[in-house]
Amino acid sequence: MIIELLVSAFILIGATFALIGSIGLLRLPDFYTRLHGPTKATTLGISGMLIASGLYFSTGSHDATSLHEILVLLFLFITAPVSAHLLVKAALHRRVYSVAKRPQVLARGQRAQAAVKEREHR
Amino acid sequence: MFLAWIVAIPFLGALLPYGAVRLVPKQACGAAASLAAALVSTSALIIALSHTPDVFAGGEVHASMPWIPRIGLTLALRFDGLAMVFVLLILGIGLLVILYAHFYLAKSDQVARFFAILLLFQGAMLGIVLSDNLLLLLLFWELTSLTSFLLVGFDPRSIEARRGARMALVITGGGGLALLAGFLLLGSVAGSFELSEVLAAGERVHQHPLYLPILLLILLGAFTKSAQFPFHFWLPSAMTAPTPVSAYLHSATMVKAGIFLLARFFPVFAETDIWFYLVGGVGLTTFLFGAYIAIFKHDIKGLLAYSTISHLGLITFLFGLGTPLGAVAGLFHAMNHAVFKASLFMAAGIIDHEAGTRDMRRLSGLWHFMPITGTLAMVAAAAMAGVPLLNGFLSKEMFFAETVHHEWLGHLDWLLPFIATLGGIFAVAYSVRFIHDVFFGGPLQELDRTPHEPPRWMRIPVEILVALCLLVGIFPEQTVRPLLDLGVQSMLGFEPRYDLAIWHGFSFPLLMSLVALVGGLLLYRLRRWLFRAHDWVFPPTSGASVFQRLSTGLQLLARARMPHPTQASLQNSIAWLLLTTLVLAIWPLLPALWSLDVAGLSDWLMGLELSPLDVPSLGAGLILVVAAAGVVGLRRQRLQATILAGVIGLVLSLAFVHFSAPDLALTQLTVEVVTTILLLLVLYFLPQSDVARLSRWRRTRDLVLAVVAGTGVAALALVIMTTQTPSIAEYFLHAAKPAAGASNVVNAILVDFRGFDTLGEITVLAIAAAGIFAMLRGIRLHTPQRDLFGRPWSPDVHPTILAMLSRPLLPMALLVAVFMLLRGHHEPGGGFIAGLIAGIALVLQQLASGQQWSAERLRLNYTRLIGAGLLMALGTASAALLWQRPFLTSAFWHSESTWLGELELTSAMVFDTGVFLVVLGTVMLILDNLGRLSGHRQHGRRAGHQVAAHPAPVPAASAPALGSAPWKS
Repeated sequence: MIIELLVSAFILIGATFALIGSIGLLRLPDFYTRLHGPTKATTLGISGMLIASGLYFSTGSHDATSLHEILVLLFLFITAPVSAHLLVKAALHRRVYSVAKRPQVLARGQRAQAAVKEREHR
Repeated sequence: MFLAWIVAIPFLGALLPYGAVRLVPKQACGAAASLAAALVSTSALIIALSHTPDVFAGGEVHASMPWIPRIGLTLALRFDGLAMVFVLLILGIGLLVILYAHFYLAKSDQVARFFAILLLFQGAMLGIVLSDNLLLLLLFWELTSLTSFLLVGFDPRSIEARRGARMALVITGGGGLALLAGFLLLGSVAGSFELSEVLAAGERVHQHPLYLPILLLILLGAFTKSAQFPFHFWLPSAMTAPTPVSAYLHSATMVKAGIFLLARFFPVFAETDIWFYLVGGVGLTTFLFGAYIAIFKHDIKGLLAYSTISHLGLITFLFGLGTPLGAVAGLFHAMNHAVFKASLFMAAGIIDHEAGTRDMRRLSGLWHFMPITGTLAMVAAAAMAGVPLLNGFLSKEMFFAETVHHEWLGHLDWLLPFIATLGGIFAVAYSVRFIHDVFFGGPLQELDRTPHEPPRWMRIPVEILVALCLLVGIFPEQTVRPLLDLGVQSMLGFEPRYDLAIWHGFSFPLLMSLVALVGGLLLYRLRRWLFRAHDWVFPPTSGASVFQRLSTGLQLLARARMPHPTQASLQNSIAWLLLTTLVLAIWPLLPALWSLDVAGLSDWLMGLELSPLDVPSLGAGLILVVAAAGVVGLRRQRLQATILAGVIGLVLSLAFVHFSAPDLALTQLTVEVVTTILLLLVLYFLPQSDVARLSRWRRTRDLVLAVVAGTGVAALALVIMTTQTPSIAEYFLHAAKPAAGASNVVNAILVDFRGFDTLGEITVLAIAAAGIFAMLRGIRLHTPQRDLFGRPWSPDVHPTILAMLSRPLLPMALLVAVFMLLRGHHEPGGGFIAGLIAGIALVLQQLASGQQWSAERLRLNYTRLIGAGLLMALGTASAALLWQRPFLTSAFWHSESTWLGELELTSAMVFDTGVFLVVLGTVMLILDNLGRLSGHRQHGRRAGHQVAAHPAPVPAASAPALGSAPWKS
């Protein structure tokens, strides 16, 4: 009984996060902000559902502990930030429109490059 | 079976120099390699000598083992007198050449490689003379062509060496093909490929209507190998080889293979007019032509090359006479020529080594610097010229006598002695020129170095050979007679009466010798006029240049025949490939297509029983269609097209899952990932600018081709999937467990039932990897630092987050790979999939952390990995032979223990591990070499970072020429 309640709660929490993430993907103004939706909110949402799944399949008539979900979670948590990072890097390189001021990281990088080049010249 | 070791030892021993080099410190490498090679040759020689008593007792030693009985190929060897003569020449002179080469080769040259190829060549040569089966003989024949190609082109940096090697390969290899055709005909006429039976069938061959084509084809093989006119030109071009190679190949071995063939088949073919006119005519022409040209060569080795051609012509002529005594003289001269020509080549090498040049116009007066070498060269040259008391004189005298006693040409009988004497005069002239121009003829001119005597041991081989010249020349009856008798006996089947005496009394042949000696000296005195006349009469041309022009012309012609000479592109090649396939596939179908019953076909299509449609399949199908259309539409955006193509592959793997083919799905998935990554890496090097628009015609052509080919494949798939054919699947399903001990039938098919296919496939994979390795070696490509629009690429090549998060993935992924490998026999998985998974895991590390980073941590030699995998697979496959089972029989042990539970070991697993290693090595090797292409950029970046940390100047040498980017200057 308690397990079923817990499972339902996790499913609902996960679904809510996924919904919020999807709305964000739809409504946010530019690429960089839109990226938050699928990478952060939806990751959380999926993890909620995975926990629910793990709980459900480890209890009741299923006698073995279901460990698949842990692995899925692990890989999800590894891949989501990495792909988000790489996507942003590509967007920065392509100078995709941004509502915020252009981040200074790249500019700093360019400055460092220029400095290196100057030193090489000398 | 002891006999087979004579041939087998050099082949197996070819590995020994490599092993020896590994074992000793660097400065002893050369000595170790030479010693190993000498050891190999000596052991082969000892085995050969141990058989000689049998032969001397009048017997023949035979050894035979079936190899491919269905085509008449047996591993049959015979050791008779003729074979013994050549075996002793090959091994004896081979030993001396190895000793000589030890001193000749520079320490920087790859000594081990040299001796390994030399031993392979030696083995192939021994195989030719010992073969008792025509097909086996041909096999060794082609092996000599191949190994001599490697020997002549030993210095791959020299364009002349490469050209000479290629020419030798084309000519002798082409002759080998003719020989193959001739042997096949001969075998069918004689009814067997066994040499003994062919030799016995001489009469039948004579009468047969195919006698002429057989003779022509076999002679083509012999003449190309023995450099007979007009195929002689490869020999002078092959003089680009290192001198020990020339001394070996062009005196005792390679060129003597053709002579051996003439001697071997003498009883079968000789005694016909056509044999006399063909062999005798070609031999005589070559004899005269070679001797004449040799006078005018300025390069010592060039002179020796043409003199070799001339002597080979002489020997050919002697065999061409078709008389027993002619054959005796031919065999005798072949032996003598091998001895004195080898020593002359060695002397030429010493001169080149010590004086720094082989040009006789620059050399003179070397006598004062190297009197001993001079004496040795002089004796050898005198033997070559046919001076009395030397071996060359005896055989030449026999040659003169044969020309005199011949009565074939009727009233033109005087012609033969005349030509022979003329050739003799030329021979004396070029021998005198060699000695006089090099060792005398005024004081030494300006040379790069002061010449001096070579190391003591370098001269030893020459001394031995020259001593042989003298011994045979003075005591022929005691030294060479027994050997020659045996050779003649086994060649002819009987022993003709002949006399080896030095003094026959005053006779016409002696007069001819004297005329030749005096005439040659006179001719040399008149050389200035002679040279002028030669230049005036003959424009400077050579067979080699004609060959070059012909082959260039042929290439140009081939290029002109191509429809688009300027568009030699991959797309074009593939279009042609597709077109050819289509034509070949549609041609036989044309009648059926003509009378196609459209209504019936559509009825049939409508009536097909379809499986019910479900949503996932529909979705997957839609994605496939959209992605495929996208690839076509976006073909000019390479990146997008590649990714879409990857989508197709992934959906396909889902389809495999759907139809319960997990092995296929896993393979498809991993292959797709690897190919996409590698393609993306390649894209990086392609121009980033928009791909050029193709012409309307090209687009139409490609469209038509693609549509027709696609329709064809679809129709084929439809037919195959709808027709009920008796399938062998049932057999595999039932046999997998009892016969292969496997529950995974797919894997059992791969590593057991069709293991031979897999072995072939991984071999192809390894060859492809080697090809990629060779092609990309040393290439640096321009790597842009800005994109198409001038935006600089991010300096942060390896983002920290990716690098850090990918590291813990490696052990997990490798674990999965091992798991897949181990369970392959029973569950989906196997070596191929495991190799790809491990490959992807390592690729990820390289991408995330950089090539240098991973190279520092993972010190793997991928070529060796591939080699180890191949050996492992091959070893497992052949291990079955040890238990007298057929190749690739697999074994499995099943045991149940309380400790380990159910345990099953199969030999197929070792085989699969070999597959795993080859796949992994290939993937990594491709990636590694692609990564190296941009070595400059990575290096530059790294250097840049280092400069930022500690400002040290970047060495200019580290910037390769190709990659020098304009913005750096």
